[in-house]
Amino acid sequence: MCRYDSGSEESSQRVSNSNSKNTLPDHEHIPAESGSRARKRIRVLLISVALICVWVTVRFPYEAESGLEHLLNGPNQVNPQTLHLRGEFVESNLGAAEESGGVVVRMIAEQYLFVPHCVVVPTGVPIRVRMTSADVVHMLTISGTNDEVKVVPGYIVETHVQFDREGEHQMPCREFCGPGHYTMRSRLIAVSLEQFRKLSPEERVNCASR
Amino acid sequence: MPHGRWLTRNSGALQWRIGPAFVVLVIAGVVVMGSDAAGPPVRIPSNVAWTAETIAMASSGDAFRGSLIGRRCDRCHGREGFSSSPAVPNLASMDRLVIWKQLEDFRAGKRSSHVMQPIANSLSLQDSADVAAYYWMMPIFSDPQDDRAFPQPMSDPRHEAVAGRLINGGDGSRGLPPCQACHGPIGIVIGAPSLATQNANYLLEQLDGFASGSRANDINMRMRGIAAQLTEDERHALAESYGAGVAESGFRYAGR
Repeated sequence: MCRYDSGSEESSQRVSNSNSKNTLPDHEHIPAESGSRARKRIRVLLISVALICVWVTVRFPYEAESGLEHLLNGPNQVNPQTLHLRGEFVESNLGAAEESGGVVVRMIAEQYLFVPHCVVVPTGVPIRVRMTSADVVHMLTISGTNDEVKVVPGYIVETHVQFDREGEHQMPCREFCGPGHYTMRSRLIAVSLEQFRKLSPEERVNCASR
Repeated sequence: MPHGRWLTRNSGALQWRIGPAFVVLVIAGVVVMGSDAAGPPVRIPSNVAWTAETIAMASSGDAFRGSLIGRRCDRCHGREGFSSSPAVPNLASMDRLVIWKQLEDFRAGKRSSHVMQPIANSLSLQDSADVAAYYWMMPIFSDPQDDRAFPQPMSDPRHEAVAGRLINGGDGSRGLPPCQACHGPIGIVIGAPSLATQNANYLLEQLDGFASGSRANDINMRMRGIAAQLTEDERHALAESYGAGVAESGFRYAGR
């Protein structure tokens, strides 16, 4: 019995009611056969839900223990440990390259550098930036644009930019990635398409002298 | 001549003569087209990838066995892992993964050295892991009985201020991370080469090699990207400061 209610008249009435023989009013009486039918329905429902759970568990087992292989086989997934051995992020493939309908720039983000350290891109053509991380989560920001993309190890992210004017852009890392994070910065230089086509592949990724 | 006899025996049928030539042509065509589709040759900096198996292999060394194999290294790298020549790296307390990877790169020809390549070729993978485990265990305490070259005085005392700024703070305007972010605040860290007790001439040679590309076995161009941004004076200052033991002695130039 609730001692906080014991003072009020209403609760004492309820107590006296519950002590009497007729515990429930007439309209709360449920016929015996309908109750058993409802219970039967609930039981059938519960059993079928349990069976579905068992079937799902057996049919689709949780695969987290089976390693990263099932994650790393998709089209936008890549093994961060073997970037330098195979695939599109080998070091001779990094930097800006012309493709049909534009330019593709491939970069790796790693502690605490964007590789290549400087990228030269042409103006006036759509640029596809494909990136992945070799170690932890980084974030690429290109100054002067509204472009910001999170670079997660194991996945290839792609972002599209286009520059209308020649100039230099900074690409700092915007996601804390370790004690050297605040110096992690790369440069992007937009030049005219004619000038870009004159550059050798080495000059497109190395602008330390510029 | 067996090849000629094979041809003459089947000389009645023309396809027996044309067939091999056709097969050779097809193979040559496939090879030419395949190389054409691949574009420029893929440059692989190092065959080592830090997968779980590689790390397990490189960390499985037996230091006692390594101490026996390491007797061959005494003459250059010193009995206690400290060299008497400033151009030869000190190996005491160097992380075992680092030593194992460099030996593997020497073996595969990814890093060139007239001295180390034949030596690494004579070692098996397990031998490399054993030697690495041995040097990893050697302490960096000073030893007056030893003829080690480390530490060496700096040629110019101003180097310390230049290097101290780069070691502790880096240079954000050029995107240069601080050395200590990877190589550790006092130069000792797991998974990166220890620099606190490294020799100056060796460090300068490696920094110049990374900057010019003559040493290119760093995975994902990490050190090549950094060294190419450093000026020649800064490379000198960094090498001499580490060689003089300023990193070993802690943060005494912090805030300068």
